[in-house]
Amino acid sequence: MSAPRNNPGRGRGRPIGRGPLTRRQLLARAGALGATGLSLPALLAACGGDDGNGTAATTAPPGTDPATTDAPANGGGDELFFENWTAYIDPTEDGEVGTVDRFVEATGIQMRYSEAINSNNEYFARIQPVLGRGERIDPDIIAPTGWMAGRLINLGWCDPLPLDQVPNAANLVEGLRNPTWDPTGEYSLPWQAGFAGIAYNIDITGRELTSIDDLFDPEFAGQIGINTEMRDTIGLIAMSLGIDIENLESFDDAAPAFERLEAAKDAGQIRRFHGNDYFDDLTNGNFAACIGWSGDVAQLAMDNPAVRFAFPESGGTSWADTMIMPAGAVNRDAAAKWMDFVYDPEQAAQITAWVGYVSPVQGVREALMDIDPELAENPLVFPDDETVAMTQSFASLSDDVEEEYDAAFSRIIGA
Amino acid sequence: MTTAVEGSPHRADGGRSELLGLAALLGAGLLLAAVGARWISGPLVPLALALVLAAVVAVIWTAVAGSPESKRRIAPYGLLKPGMLWLALFYLAPLITLLRSSLSTRPSRFAVDFTFDWNLGNYTTAFTDFAPQFGRAFLYAGSATVLTILIGFPLAYVIAFRGGRFKTLLLGLVVIPFFTSYLIRTIAWRSLLADTGQVVQLFDTLRISGILETVGVMDNGRVLNTPAAVIGGLTYNFLPFMILPIYVSLEKVDPRLVDAAQDLYSTAFQSFRKVVVPLALPGVFAGTLLTFIPAAGDFVNALYLGSPNTTMIGNSIQDQFLVQSNVPLASAMSFVLMLIITVFVFVYSRFFGTEDLT
Repeated sequence: MSAPRNNPGRGRGRPIGRGPLTRRQLLARAGALGATGLSLPALLAACGGDDGNGTAATTAPPGTDPATTDAPANGGGDELFFENWTAYIDPTEDGEVGTVDRFVEATGIQMRYSEAINSNNEYFARIQPVLGRGERIDPDIIAPTGWMAGRLINLGWCDPLPLDQVPNAANLVEGLRNPTWDPTGEYSLPWQAGFAGIAYNIDITGRELTSIDDLFDPEFAGQIGINTEMRDTIGLIAMSLGIDIENLESFDDAAPAFERLEAAKDAGQIRRFHGNDYFDDLTNGNFAACIGWSGDVAQLAMDNPAVRFAFPESGGTSWADTMIMPAGAVNRDAAAKWMDFVYDPEQAAQITAWVGYVSPVQGVREALMDIDPELAENPLVFPDDETVAMTQSFASLSDDVEEEYDAAFSRIIGA
Repeated sequence: MTTAVEGSPHRADGGRSELLGLAALLGAGLLLAAVGARWISGPLVPLALALVLAAVVAVIWTAVAGSPESKRRIAPYGLLKPGMLWLALFYLAPLITLLRSSLSTRPSRFAVDFTFDWNLGNYTTAFTDFAPQFGRAFLYAGSATVLTILIGFPLAYVIAFRGGRFKTLLLGLVVIPFFTSYLIRTIAWRSLLADTGQVVQLFDTLRISGILETVGVMDNGRVLNTPAAVIGGLTYNFLPFMILPIYVSLEKVDPRLVDAAQDLYSTAFQSFRKVVVPLALPGVFAGTLLTFIPAAGDFVNALYLGSPNTTMIGNSIQDQFLVQSNVPLASAMSFVLMLIITVFVFVYSRFFGTEDLT
C-alpha cells in the first residue's frame, strides 16, 4: 500500500532524498525535530519524490496503462509485465538506475512495469470480470495486499509461483513464511510490508496527536480523513476500543468500531474518505489528520516538516503486500527471474532505501548499512521488539464474516 | 405526402416501397438491438447481421435502381437508417442489458455472471438504502439549475441586447472554459476553495465569513467539502449550458417588440416581463433540461468538492458499479434515476409547454 507520490495537484519541482547524501540531510533535520518514541514521523526515509515511471493510472484498465517502463527488446524475446502500487519501487531518474532497469540489464527480459493499483477493492473490481470468467489478465505479476491475495487464491484465480526457479526465495524472512492468506506459501511472495497509523499536520492540530480519540475530537470537525482500506481504519479504531483485532470471529466483535466510525461520519467529523490520495489534503491543511501509511508519510515530511506520522497509544496495524501470479499468466520463467532478482538482498536494499517500507528479504539490513546506515536503524523499516509489540495485523476473516464487514464498511464509506 | 400522390399510377409500387422501407428499418433496428443485448447468440449472430446488412442493401438498392416514386417514398427510411441502427446498437441494446441486469441476482459475492430471475429486490434496495442520495442529487441539481438561471439570464440578456460588436467575444468567453477538461476545472476548485486557499482568505479579509456561516455557505471556516461547494461546482460547470440557449432565444427577440410595448405605455419592467421573458422561456426550458439532467446524475463535483455527507446518487452508482461490483443493484439505481428524470422532464414540459421551443 503505497500512496501516489505523483499526485497531479502537487507541485514537485524539487527532487528529494534519493541519494544517500540527501537522505542523511533529511535525517539530520528529522533528528532536530526531536523524534520521541511516539512521533517517529520524519525519522523514516522513504525517499520518494518524482515518480519516474510516469503518472498514476487510476482509470486505465489493466493492460492499457500508460504508466509503464518499457525496456527495449533485448534478445530472447522474453517479456514480463508487473502491475504494482504507485511509487513502490526505485525508479530510474536523475542519473540513478532503478531496479527495473537493473533487472532488464541483467536478464535481457523486456519488462513492463505499471503502477495500476490504487486500492485493493478497486483493483479487484477491475480484474474480477476477467479472471472470474476464466480469462487471463495481461500482467504476469500483481501486488495485492495479503488479505486480497488470500481471496484471489481461494477463488482459484492465481497460479502457484514457480518457486523451484526462485532460489532466493529462501531469503524470505521467517515471520512472513506461510502467512495466513497463503498457508502453504506456494502462491505468494511478499513485496513490502508496513504499518498504518495517524498522519497529521501539526500546523493545523497545534499539538501532537497520540491516540485515535484525537481523530474524533470535535475540535477537528470536518478536518479528518479516513482511509478506505477497511483493515487499517476499522483495525485502528477497534484497537483504540480495546478490541483484539488479531482474533476477530464475528461481526459483533468489531461492531463498536463501525458504530464509532458511523457516528463520526454522521456528525460531520470526516471530511473525506481517502484512498492513496491523502497527500494534498494533509500537506495543505485541509486534513488536520488522517489514517496514513508509514513509508508514505515520512516522504511527505521531507516536503513539509509539519506532517507527522505516529502510532496511536493503542497501537498501529501492520500489513504486507504480495507478489502473486494471476491464473494463466504466460511469462512464468521471466516472473521467476524477477522474483529471484528482487529477493537478492543487494537489490532489495535498493528498493528499501527508496520506498522506506519493511522489506521481506533477509540480509537487507546488512546491505543497507553500506547505502544508508541511518535508515538501517529505523524501527519503522526494521521493526524492533517495541514496534512489533505496538502493532497488530487484522484477523483473517472467513468469507461470510468478511462479507458482513465489507458490507458494513462500504455502507459507511460508500457513496 | 400521401395526399400528394393520391391517384398516381405508381401508387401500388410506392406503397410497397414504403412498407418495405419501414419493415427494413424496424427489422434491422430490432435485430441489431437483439444482437447487442445478446438475445441472439452463437451461430445465429452472423445470420442476424447478414439480415441487417440485407435490409440496408435493399434500401440502397431501391434508392438507386427503383422507380422515381419508390425512391421518393423510401428516402425518409433510408435517411433514418443510420441513426436508427446507431440507436439500436448503442442505446437500445445497452438499455435492455441494463434492465435485465437490474432484475438479476448475484448468485455469490464474487460471481461475474448474474442470474436473471425478475429480482425486484434491487429496486427496493435502491429506494430504501439510497433515498438520501437520490434526495441530495435532485436537491443539489435543482439548486444549481436555479442558480444558473439567476446568473445566466442577466448575462445572456446583456450579451444579446447590449453586447453590440463585442457579442462574439463575450460568447467566446462563455465557452472558453470548455477548452479545459471538465475534470481539471473541477479539481482546480479544490485548491481555490482549500481551507488555506484564496477563496477562504478573501472571505476572511472581507470579514464576511460570519455571514456566510450563517447562511450556510461556510461550515466551521471551510468552504471545500460542504454542500455549498458541491452546488457551486455544479453551477459553475453547467452555467454555459444555461447561458447559450437563453442567449439564442433572446437573440431572436425583435427589439421593435419592446419598442412597441413601450409605445403602448408599458414601463421598462413591464415590457421586460411581458415581452422579453415569455420569448426567452424556450431558452430557459432548454437550458434547464441541459443543466438539470446531467447535474442530477453527476458524480464528479460531489466526489472532488463534497464530503461523505454530500454524496449524490451518481457517486453511489459509481461506487456500486466499480468498487462494490454489485452490477444488479447499480443497474436498478441507474434505472430509477432515469425514471425519475423522465417523469420530471414529462411534467416539466407539460408545465412549460414545448410548443414554444420551435
